[in-house]
Amino acid sequence: MTRERRPHGRRGRLLQLAGRLGGVVLVVWGAATAGFIALRLIPGDPVDVMLGVHARVSEAVRDQIRADWGLDEPVVVQYLRYLGRLATGDLGTSYQLRKPVAEVIGNQALPTVQLTALALLFAVILALAAALLARGVRARRVVSVLELFVVSSPTFWIGLVLLTVFAYQLRWFPSAASGGFAALVLPALTLALPVAGVISQVLRQGLDQAEAQPFATTVRARGVRPARLVLRHTLRHAAADSLTLTGYLVGSLLGGAVLVETVFARQGLGGVTVRAILGRDLPVVLGIIVLAAAVFAVINLLIDLAYDRIDPRLRLVAA
Amino acid sequence: MIGGTIAVLAVTGMLAGCAQPAATQDTTITFGIAGANLSAGHMDIHSTQLDVGSLVLRNTFDSLVAQDLDGQFVPWLAKSWEISDDGLRYTFELRDDVTFHDGEPFNAEAVKANFDHVVDPQTASAQAASLIGYAEEGGYYVDTEVVDEFTVAVNFSQPYAPFLQGVSLPQLGFYSPKVLEEHADELKAGGPGITVGTGPFVLSEYTPDQELVFTANPDYNWPAEGSEHQGVAASDELVIRILPEDSSRVGALTSGDVDVAADFTPSMADQVGDGFTTTAVELPGIPYSLYLNEADGVFGDQKVREAFRIGFDIEAAIDSIYFGQFDRAWSVLGPTTPNSYDASLEGSWPYDQDKANELLDDAGWTERDSDGYRVKDGQRLSARWIAWTPVADDKASLADVIQSDLKEIGFEIVRDVLEPAQYNESYGPRDFDLTDWGFSSPDADVLRSHLHSGGFQTASEVTKPQVDSWLDEAVATSDAEVRQGLYENLQQWNNEQVLIVPLFVPSEITVAGDSVTGLVYDLYGRPAFYGASTTVGG
Amino acid sequence: MTELITKRPTVTRRPAPAGVLLAAVFLGVLLLAGVAPWLLTGQDPLHAEVADALSSPSLEHPFGTDQSGRDVFARVVYGIRYSLVIGFGATLLALVAGTVIGVVSGLASRVVDGVLSRVIDILMAFPEILLALVVIAVIGPGEASLLTAVALAAVPAYARVARVRTLVVKRSSYVTAATALGVHPAVSVARHIVPNLLGPLLVMATMGVGTAIVSAAGLSFLGMGPQPPTPEWGLILSEGRNFLATAWWIAVFPGLTLTATVIATSTLGRYLQARGGA
Repeated sequence: MTRERRPHGRRGRLLQLAGRLGGVVLVVWGAATAGFIALRLIPGDPVDVMLGVHARVSEAVRDQIRADWGLDEPVVVQYLRYLGRLATGDLGTSYQLRKPVAEVIGNQALPTVQLTALALLFAVILALAAALLARGVRARRVVSVLELFVVSSPTFWIGLVLLTVFAYQLRWFPSAASGGFAALVLPALTLALPVAGVISQVLRQGLDQAEAQPFATTVRARGVRPARLVLRHTLRHAAADSLTLTGYLVGSLLGGAVLVETVFARQGLGGVTVRAILGRDLPVVLGIIVLAAAVFAVINLLIDLAYDRIDPRLRLVAA
Repeated sequence: MIGGTIAVLAVTGMLAGCAQPAATQDTTITFGIAGANLSAGHMDIHSTQLDVGSLVLRNTFDSLVAQDLDGQFVPWLAKSWEISDDGLRYTFELRDDVTFHDGEPFNAEAVKANFDHVVDPQTASAQAASLIGYAEEGGYYVDTEVVDEFTVAVNFSQPYAPFLQGVSLPQLGFYSPKVLEEHADELKAGGPGITVGTGPFVLSEYTPDQELVFTANPDYNWPAEGSEHQGVAASDELVIRILPEDSSRVGALTSGDVDVAADFTPSMADQVGDGFTTTAVELPGIPYSLYLNEADGVFGDQKVREAFRIGFDIEAAIDSIYFGQFDRAWSVLGPTTPNSYDASLEGSWPYDQDKANELLDDAGWTERDSDGYRVKDGQRLSARWIAWTPVADDKASLADVIQSDLKEIGFEIVRDVLEPAQYNESYGPRDFDLTDWGFSSPDADVLRSHLHSGGFQTASEVTKPQVDSWLDEAVATSDAEVRQGLYENLQQWNNEQVLIVPLFVPSEITVAGDSVTGLVYDLYGRPAFYGASTTVGG
Repeated sequence: MTELITKRPTVTRRPAPAGVLLAAVFLGVLLLAGVAPWLLTGQDPLHAEVADALSSPSLEHPFGTDQSGRDVFARVVYGIRYSLVIGFGATLLALVAGTVIGVVSGLASRVVDGVLSRVIDILMAFPEILLALVVIAVIGPGEASLLTAVALAAVPAYARVARVRTLVVKRSSYVTAATALGVHPAVSVARHIVPNLLGPLLVMATMGVGTAIVSAAGLSFLGMGPQPPTPEWGLILSEGRNFLATAWWIAVFPGLTLTATVIATSTLGRYLQARGGA
């Protein structure tokens, strides 16, 4: 979301924070409404979704199911009921799983969080390593070719290749999502690589700019070793630039998780999403839309707030 | 076929003697299955139509009778039973020492409560109700009657021969009556305290799409007659892991993460190597087949149906895709279906593209369009094949070959792989030319739902009085020879009419590590874990 | 794209670097394969010779064969068409829709612009693949849905750039002068604003083609695109994934081609950008 001119003073800050929190609620409401309308437009009978293939049931039973789920009520009533439940944190009940959507999502959130967290760690380590290594001309060329390659490769293909090489050929890691840390390494690496490529690109540009600035020369003149200079001073400046990307990165990780979880047959929100979409489990699809909207709205809020902290100069730049 | 059908069964069964049934402390046996759809509301044995329910829940639910490997019925929860002379009343004498996992007694009231639940419209039973012979119209089942505390009778309006078959299956197993009263709406989701039966294993943890943990029922002492193992289950814990990807099941088995893995294809079995025992049980019932809709479209012409059937090299395809381990099918019933298989059909319709071309020419499909497909009256010779997701790799390859071979004779196949809900939208009004599935069943009566006019799995709405009368006669008679004759008529009729094109007879393939002992398989090739354990460290 | 380069008179005429030439040649070959795949392979991508299933790369099958005995090279070559149609089609659709929304938003009243740009900002916060998934959730899987979903997911990015550019041009002296002289705003839009937008947006679109191709392949890998046995790249990878333990070539070649395509389009895009596009 765009950054606006920040008002000064404590009161102004608080007011603005309240306004932004209101914005988050608005985003969630908008997503819920848009999602609800869109999903009502879908042709097809939810009862078919619930029963699956080759279910031998009569029309009377179907009507019964429709009544049980409140699907025979007018759409407006259904929408208001949905909003009412949403306000209390109830996301509805899955057609297929016959369980509360919140529970379905909650149960699968942990594996996805583990995967994305480890991937983020890997990505940062890889990006830092690449940015620090690529200080010489030749190293820089190698690193930038590698970056281009991983940034351009589809995530799911990287996953398939890692699986083929490290699980099937070398047998260093398990191919099955058998739980445990070893099974998490390849998926996290898959998810981390393209993200690491992007962070590393941005970080290097930032470093170059920061190094060219006067303060770097001053510090160097005081006899600080180059590696230390890079780590202590310039990285901090470059990091502010990279923060711009954080939103994008979290998005990439969560979006990529959908594919990575499918490639590695892992549990997680990605699998839930794909199954819900393909299986037309509308309450789950809607729940995921609402949840995603909430997550991204909050992340953007946090990024805006973090900007103020990391580099006060940015306030001026942004304004 | 892998090493002959039933013969393999005995091997693992006999090994049970070697292992000490008195299990050492905390023994766990793990079982990997594909089972991806289990979580989609299919944990309820009374409502689900999916095999995965039976595979998983057989360990938790017992039946009134058991069917042994010869197809004979033996006592289980019922000590004995009696069928009235007119075939309309089955009276079961129940065991009096059986309790449910929650401590409720198993008695005639419990049986009645369960059968009432099966036929209740609220249950929306997709299979159990038809197994018991119930239908809203034209059903056989009337009601269940409590005679005394441990005697229960089931009444029918017409003789219904497959009934004992039905009550031997997990679908007609028994929930604790207390659960039916208090948690009826949670059965489809299932879980500890809800999926409560009388079986040797108690469901103690359930994480959908991930795993089910069962603990041995400490009171269990009522296995079916003829069981080698007695008393409490051999392992203290049974863990069933859901591994939908083929490669994960192979990987989990070879790395020792699971002791036994099911839902294998021959190509997967080929990958596991030494140290494992593969069990393949050729399934009775309808082979994996293509169902042609003769009501309209190109298959309205019998010549086209015949040409279709011999237009692709099914033998070569099956041989290659299944590593020579599955047999091509010749009849609409599998060879192991009791009292019914017609072996005379074998070899009666070999692959013959020249003849297929002649038939299509005769049928008037003589012109070709720019893509090389045959055309008549401006219409392309094209059939729409609907299938539902997920399509297994082997079935997809088979479809690729069929499509590719038929293209050579100018016959276009358009494949539509649909989500279950969309599939139902096409299947319900029979808006397709062909579709596919296999339907295993130990009773040839399975043909009734596939060929009878208006049958749920009958691919067209064309009425066939002769077929209907054979099917009705067969279901009402318990004379094995009469049934054999009627079912032979039906198989020959289908062979002439070409409505169902059987492709291959599948086997249920399960692979177990050599350390596993005491595993036994039922007629469907499903492993039962009651007597199974692993000999870790000797 | 080549037209665009020759029409830009602003930049000094230095010969393009070798990498860019290579990218252009590669894209040329892809376009040729998209139009006339039979020129590159004599094999039928749907022909299943099941006896040859899973054979490793050889002279006859340079990329090997898949689980149904189909020639992987032929499938990759015939698959180019789908990827190019979706990649360029979706990008064009997104470009047009994004430009219209951006220009309208930039010219509209404060309230309308505020709402529109807010919505665009919110949508920008979502990764494209999630947006595309939502679109498919509504319109259902399939080849046409795939194109629409990928296009719609990319619209906000174009709309945002178009809006900012419109605002800049709107406030520029020549447009305000024209408005003061009584020139109809629509004329200004056509004469000044749109031409000013096109350069940067086209450069963005060049890079967008690569992203669109990857998104489409990903969705198709998830089973939301064309039906089997269509030789679409994502679908080839998805169908072959259970056979990777024995047949690495099923994954490697389609994936490499896909990556090479993306590298080629983004290399060209960056080159255009460096030559003064944005």
